[in-house]
Amino acid sequence: MNTQQKQQVEGRAVDHLTHFEIERFLIGEARALDEERYHEWLDKMITKDIIYQLPTEEVRYRRDKKVIGTAQTTYLYNDSYEVLAMRVARFDTGFLWAEDPPIRIRRYITNIDAMWSDTADEVDVWSNFMVYRSRGQRDDSIMYGRRKDRLRKVEGSWRLAARVITLDQRVILDKNVHCFF
Amino acid sequence: MKPISQLVQQKGAIQDRSIYWDDDIYQKEMKEIFARCWLFLTHDAVIPKEGDYQVTTMGEDNVIVARQKDGSVKAFLNSCTHRGNYVCFSEGGHTRSFVCPYHGWSFGIDGALNDVPLEEQAYFNDIDREALGLQQIRVESYKGFLFGTFDNEAPSLVSYLGGMAWYLDSFMDVPGGVELIGPPMKSILNCNWKNPSENFIGDGYHVGWAHASALEIAGGALASMKGLNDYSPDSGIQVTVPEGHGFGAIWDAAAALHPGPPGVAYQKWLDKRSPAVEKIVGKTRTKFYNSHWNATIFPNCSFLYGTNTFKVWQPRGPRQIEVFTWTLVEKEMPEELKQMIHSDNMLTFGTAGILESDDGENFENCTHSNRGYSTRQGKLYLGMGRGLERTDSEMPGLVSDGWVNEMSTRGMYRRWAELMEGRSWSDLSTTADLMTKK
Repeated sequence: MNTQQKQQVEGRAVDHLTHFEIERFLIGEARALDEERYHEWLDKMITKDIIYQLPTEEVRYRRDKKVIGTAQTTYLYNDSYEVLAMRVARFDTGFLWAEDPPIRIRRYITNIDAMWSDTADEVDVWSNFMVYRSRGQRDDSIMYGRRKDRLRKVEGSWRLAARVITLDQRVILDKNVHCFF
Repeated sequence: MKPISQLVQQKGAIQDRSIYWDDDIYQKEMKEIFARCWLFLTHDAVIPKEGDYQVTTMGEDNVIVARQKDGSVKAFLNSCTHRGNYVCFSEGGHTRSFVCPYHGWSFGIDGALNDVPLEEQAYFNDIDREALGLQQIRVESYKGFLFGTFDNEAPSLVSYLGGMAWYLDSFMDVPGGVELIGPPMKSILNCNWKNPSENFIGDGYHVGWAHASALEIAGGALASMKGLNDYSPDSGIQVTVPEGHGFGAIWDAAAALHPGPPGVAYQKWLDKRSPAVEKIVGKTRTKFYNSHWNATIFPNCSFLYGTNTFKVWQPRGPRQIEVFTWTLVEKEMPEELKQMIHSDNMLTFGTAGILESDDGENFENCTHSNRGYSTRQGKLYLGMGRGLERTDSEMPGLVSDGWVNEMSTRGMYRRWAELMEGRSWSDLSTTADLMTKK
């Protein structure tokens, strides 16, 4: 076992160098998405077995956790790689009227907290985000939330293998959340 | 406010643009439509056991819907009878009481006022608790779909549905029935509530154009509609009933908007179930069972049978709505298929959906263009397929060939005008009258 592997203790914060790499990855990913480089994201930044989810939850009393009736998790995103690729293909059709003129999106990623996971060369990363969107001439919105990511080192580069997004708004106060977080 | 006869003209084909913008018209809608019509609350399966409840709105009135000890459902205003505060701040759950956080008045799951702090020491027992229960709302169910009305004069829910009930049975009468999966997705759109209601009731026209990008990538039976180059009126039908409800159906396309494996699994289910369904509802309605519907139950409950999205457009002023979205499934479907359909519903008609996001933009902009005073003096046009509606020996209401049609949308505005005139229930058109005249 080399020194590098010894340091990979589950639940422990990653070392300086790894943290730096992860931060670089997340910032680079955010910029790629801001700049609509979706194919680069699909090809170079995420894994083929990715699970990309945005679950929503009812606003309930603290004491009342009971699952009732037919309730199950309602996911705004519950996407495999193929579904993400389909969403990207939609941008390429030339028929996406809602995004022409283009929407300006700016992603702010903060509070990055990276821990070694239970799997070698995979890390669990928590981060907070603020996503600003500006449409048309004066229509805009801001969404806040948190992501829990699983990143995996593949051939020397980090890739996103899983993402669970939490939006702080229960009622989405924007006309859609049709953007990647 | 202009007279109603000017706001909707030519049997629903012409709308005055002010109806999508003006505050006084909106307030009249709250009184004449939302305080009178049967409004969708929730589904039986969402609150199956005693003490299960959901909080929703009827118009802008906040309402608690709760399952009772005897299995019935009660609904009452979520507003304390003392000083008016809400008594429930959760959007659903399970409870034995609703306690106001202001002074601690405690109401039962039936809305009765059970406990008043310092009843003896401060009120000297001089308080009529019986008269101070939460205001009750009339509730009725149609095949598990719970509706409420503030109007005690309103006809029964089944009469209110009129001819629409016959069509709803095409999928509600399947063995085991249907149910909704929640919790609902909730989102805001800055549009008038009528924009989405009219879209779902009868706007087949926009599908090929507004959703061209989604049709291109999703493929399936509707892909040929992309860009509105290819369409045949034989491919579907529209229905309107005098009660204002209606829908368009695309024949044999129930699973069309489920691309990939969920679509295959759902189609298999439909094929397997059809013989049993036909025994219950007959041949014509089995054709509806296998078709894709875009529908609205007047005024603000819409669904797409097949895609299985089920929505309520809750009005929040003349230029805003809150959208609640559940997933409609058959109870006897395997759990795995239900989950696939639930995820697919959000992929298409959730707020991150590849179709919903097209619609949201259009709804908002159709409302907001009327901001301009001079724009608002103009009128809008729904003339497609005029004069082609007919009665049918089997199908109630009026039908018209072609799902790209505006007949059922005109029907919605005819009903809107009748109600806005303040007519009594006995003066409103019904399917029964229409079929007698036939």
